Amino acid sequence: MPNITVDNETFEFDGQPRLLQLCLETGVDLPHFCYHPSMSAPANCRQCLVEVGMPQINRDTGKPNLDESGQPVIQFMPKLQTSCSLDAAAGMVVRTHKSSELVKRAQKDNLEFLLINHPLDCPICDQAGHCPLQNQTYKHGPEGSRFEFRKVGKPKQIDLGPNVVLDGERCINCTRCVRFTSEISKSHQLTIIERGVRNYPMTPPGIEFDEPYSMNVIDICPVGALTSKDSRFRARIWEMSKTASISTVNARGANCFYWVKDNKIVEVTPRTNMDVNEYWLADEDRLDYRKFNDNRPLGPTISGADVAWDSAYKAVSDCLKGVDGTRIQFLGSAFATVEDNYLLSKLASAVGSAAPTYLAHNEVGHGDTWLRTDDRTPNTNGCERLGIHAADVAALKSRIQSGEVDVLYVLEDDPVAAGLCSVADLSGVKVVLHYYNSTNQTLPAADVAIPAAMAVETVGTLVNDQGHAQRLRPAKSIAGVNRTLSMEIGKCRADRHGTPFDKWYDESNLVNCQPGWVSIPRIAAGLNVEMNYKGPRNIMAELSSANDGFSGATYEAMGEHGVRLSEMGVTA
Amino acid sequence: MEAKKTKAGDWRSYQRVLLPPVKDLHKLDVYENNEGYKALREVLTTAKWDPTSVTNEVKKSGLKGRGGAGFPTGLKWSFMPPVDPNIPRFLCCNGDESEPGTFKDRQLMEYNPHLVFEGMLIASYAMSIKTGYLYIRGEFADWITLMEEELEKAYAKGYVGKNIMGSDFSCDIVIHKGAGAYICGEESSLMSSLEGQRAYPRVKPPFPAQKGVWGYPTTINNVETLACAPLIINKGGEWFSKIGAPSHPGPVLYGISGHVNRPGVFEYPTGMLITDLIDEVAGGMRGGKKLKALIPGGSSTPILRADMIEGVTMDADSLRDAGSMMGTSGMLIMDEDVDIVSWLRRITHFYHHETCGQCTPCREGTGWLENIVTRLDEGNGQLRDLDILLDLCTQMEGRTVCALADAAAWPVRYTIDRFRSEFEAKCSTDSVPGGGVLETA
Amino acid sequence: MGDFIKHPFVDMPDRNPEQVIPNDSLMFTSEEKTQIQTWISRYPTADGAVMRGLWLAQEKFGFLPPEVIKLVAEEIGIPYANAYGVATFYTQYFKEKKGKHVLDICTCFSCQLCGGYDMLHYVEEKLGVHSGETTEDGMFTIQEAECLGACGSAPMLQITNGVFVHNLNKDKIDALLDALREGNVPAFTSVTLPQDEDDLGGNRRTDVTSVESYIVPPVSETLS
Repeated sequence: MPNITVDNETFEFDGQPRLLQLCLETGVDLPHFCYHPSMSAPANCRQCLVEVGMPQINRDTGKPNLDESGQPVIQFMPKLQTSCSLDAAAGMVVRTHKSSELVKRAQKDNLEFLLINHPLDCPICDQAGHCPLQNQTYKHGPEGSRFEFRKVGKPKQIDLGPNVVLDGERCINCTRCVRFTSEISKSHQLTIIERGVRNYPMTPPGIEFDEPYSMNVIDICPVGALTSKDSRFRARIWEMSKTASISTVNARGANCFYWVKDNKIVEVTPRTNMDVNEYWLADEDRLDYRKFNDNRPLGPTISGADVAWDSAYKAVSDCLKGVDGTRIQFLGSAFATVEDNYLLSKLASAVGSAAPTYLAHNEVGHGDTWLRTDDRTPNTNGCERLGIHAADVAALKSRIQSGEVDVLYVLEDDPVAAGLCSVADLSGVKVVLHYYNSTNQTLPAADVAIPAAMAVETVGTLVNDQGHAQRLRPAKSIAGVNRTLSMEIGKCRADRHGTPFDKWYDESNLVNCQPGWVSIPRIAAGLNVEMNYKGPRNIMAELSSANDGFSGATYEAMGEHGVRLSEMGVTA
Repeated sequence: MEAKKTKAGDWRSYQRVLLPPVKDLHKLDVYENNEGYKALREVLTTAKWDPTSVTNEVKKSGLKGRGGAGFPTGLKWSFMPPVDPNIPRFLCCNGDESEPGTFKDRQLMEYNPHLVFEGMLIASYAMSIKTGYLYIRGEFADWITLMEEELEKAYAKGYVGKNIMGSDFSCDIVIHKGAGAYICGEESSLMSSLEGQRAYPRVKPPFPAQKGVWGYPTTINNVETLACAPLIINKGGEWFSKIGAPSHPGPVLYGISGHVNRPGVFEYPTGMLITDLIDEVAGGMRGGKKLKALIPGGSSTPILRADMIEGVTMDADSLRDAGSMMGTSGMLIMDEDVDIVSWLRRITHFYHHETCGQCTPCREGTGWLENIVTRLDEGNGQLRDLDILLDLCTQMEGRTVCALADAAAWPVRYTIDRFRSEFEAKCSTDSVPGGGVLETA
Repeated sequence: MGDFIKHPFVDMPDRNPEQVIPNDSLMFTSEEKTQIQTWISRYPTADGAVMRGLWLAQEKFGFLPPEVIKLVAEEIGIPYANAYGVATFYTQYFKEKKGKHVLDICTCFSCQLCGGYDMLHYVEEKLGVHSGETTEDGMFTIQEAECLGACGSAPMLQITNGVFVHNLNKDKIDALLDALREGNVPAFTSVTLPQDEDDLGGNRRTDVTSVESYIVPPVSETLS
């Protein structure tokens, strides 16, 4: 494998990586702004300058010239080079700011230039605390300012579109946002306008920046020029914890971070997973988090009256005792995790009922070839693999209406809102409902209503539409003590820079709910059915060996980036 | 001593070849009657003139680019990769003459457009190119119209297009109209502009010969450079190499402007003594004034004081030794009354207006330079502003995608170096100069 | 000169502009479309034709309001944002309506040292507007231009992206303004090479009526 020497340390590399990418991956913290691994590299910010030399090749022999100690003579390029526009090459010698005064000076000078027209907005800028310009200025920049003139004024606080706010003065013209719209999302809604120091990004007149992936530019903007309208000024980055988890808005299961302050979801940002969503997240994945915070249940109820958890569980078991299994209809849910659906199907079989079915939630035409799908649920694929198939809605509706169903057991869904039947249709049916929000339309018909932990409060597995099995991690706490959840939360809520920090724990906004893998075994126990699992990790361990469809999907294997399962119906 | 002698030989009896004194030479029929397209015909019909031989003849001639950078033309042509029939190749003729002080290409395009076309065709033949773009700045609208008319006539006569003059060689010439941006004169910016993008220069490597317009191998040459090609074929590379300065040979169009009695575009060999150009060719200093300074090759080239030009000839080596550059040989002559600081201020304004804004040092630096020089010009500057200016020049030079930042920094650096007393005289003696927006700590 | 550093503010374009060109005029004739297609055929991709397309539109509509830029983009088949970015990059594309005659007066480098600013201030005085502004009667817009490539015949100006007027002086400007007011745009002028004066006794072209020779440039009174 070829060798490269960076700051007097030689190491091997393979492939043909960009020099900047290689340095970053080996821990050399080269400052940069305009480079992004997913897009073309225009090398226009000029921050990543380094000294580069190659072995001097003798024109006659075609071999490197050697010096007295037998080392190749290195010919340094006369000008500093941008490491983002050069590929690493065999024998290359690179000097960064760590070993070159010239490079150090160049980085400082460049930051000085960036700052002369940059407004002093840090106190009111959302980017503060996670701003590459701040960080790099602190590490490599000038001590003070020598600029004694008027800074260039540009439009500020402009709604580029429904979700993105532009501050033209903060923009450093790295063109990442424009390149995103022309190379990645291909919406072509942004361009740089004007020329020279008057440059800034804008939509052409009459066009709004309303493409369904517009908010990605907020993440890639290295300064606070593009910020989120939805979460503007809501919290400082150091006030929030972040949890690596999965978006549940559609079946693509894009990887994301949930940001939490005061035990409420405040923001959703993308998490890199090259197999699922690369670096990106659709706007719909980012904006649909209020359901985690608002209209949450106060506790379990029987016929609308508040009861203790044990009473609720006993009431459910009583509903199921002695009923003919063929007259119990179990509805699993593509909103719920694999573990919860699995336990439900075990319960169904224990009471002699047919396998659960799930209600499909498809919005035809909503999906695209990228990160949005018609399917508005995150775990359809997981349900199918468990043998839980889509319900024949017409048939089921007629069974309910003709009184063939005595008990309707609903796991984490809303049949009335989905159009399966009306509350009136369910008047003669015993309904057990595991639910998320108090706005659930089936709630009025529920005999026993069990508040369920949502995706951000539980530990579980979801399988996306491409068969990628991924782990949910709890981002916010629930009321009550749960050892599994506590351990998981303790491990995974980090601050912006990855430091585990328990500053965000507080007692406010704790929802009184339980995950399915807590509730269902307790209900099963009331029927003398044993479901003895230490936690969802063990449930998946069992599933991954017992069910071909989940082969390989252990928690260890899924880790941070999930595991691609083999195609359904194809035996391993 | 050799330095005092002109390298332009017997220039007073020089016979013009780029702009020979022929009435209506711009017309196709007149051009044809004056050896027009003879070189092209010879190259296409004579066995000895295969593409490589043409390039070698240009190498032999020693022709260096006339667009400002002075790169050896034959060498540049040899950078094109071997022909791949599946990969198109392009020639760009750079007629974006926007360098302040330069006005020679305009005259050449008006009076001898077919020489330019013929040069483009010969170059295209040498590099196996089938399409040549002639990029002309948009302000030259009238000249574009003229050239379009003449090009159409050349097409009609079979000098351009398919199977030129009945040979196997086909080549199209497309005239592209610019729209007002100095940066488009930079070769990679010209390519971006041609492609219909915002005219941002591109990082090199990859060089245009590897990856040029639309990603294809491309060579870019100045109008005057390409106009020399038919002459080299007709009269030989050796003939060319003997004209003017040996290290930088050939005829060249000097554009002399400023405080002289007879400004204009003059064709003479390279290597003219600057003093000959000012005193004889341009008729001496206007109003009998004394020379104070001159710019030899367009605003980007370092200024020379009157006491620095003794024995200096207009060729790359001599000018480099004297502390400047050949550039476009667009000379600005300044007399003793010129306020150097005010003059410099306007130059910094030019670069600030023309920067494309792509990369940081140039986008921010040009404005900062203009701000400081303006403050100095208005009498509100301080001595330390001169140090800051020189610092900024160091911070801009060599750090950017293209050379506009260097071109913006050099006038500031060298004018301060060489006229420091004028700058210091304008500095304020107040401890807190008025007019600044922020007071320094 | 260069007001921008004194007032460095960049305006935002109107994001919901009112359409200036009425819909029944907002189209290209079939000849114009053919012309655009010809240009497209001369480049490997259609993008290359955008500059020519914008010029054609500017000549047709007088300037380039957003709806016209959009029309050009649609005709050529490129994104509207790309065409808009290109249009705002170049100085010669007018994004706002200008006067009937746009006077681009060069004040750069040679022209600065040969009275360019004197001419600019004179025109400003005569027309009663500053550089960058249009007269109330909509007749003239004055603009300060960067080097126009006619340094030997300084000072000079360009009329509406077209003809150059060389060797300016106050009388010449007076006559020019009067002529323009009458609707008479001066003809193309060929500037005679000094060597042609020597060798041919004058301008070498027989197909132009207006010729000028290079003359001793005037003394500048002001450099800003």
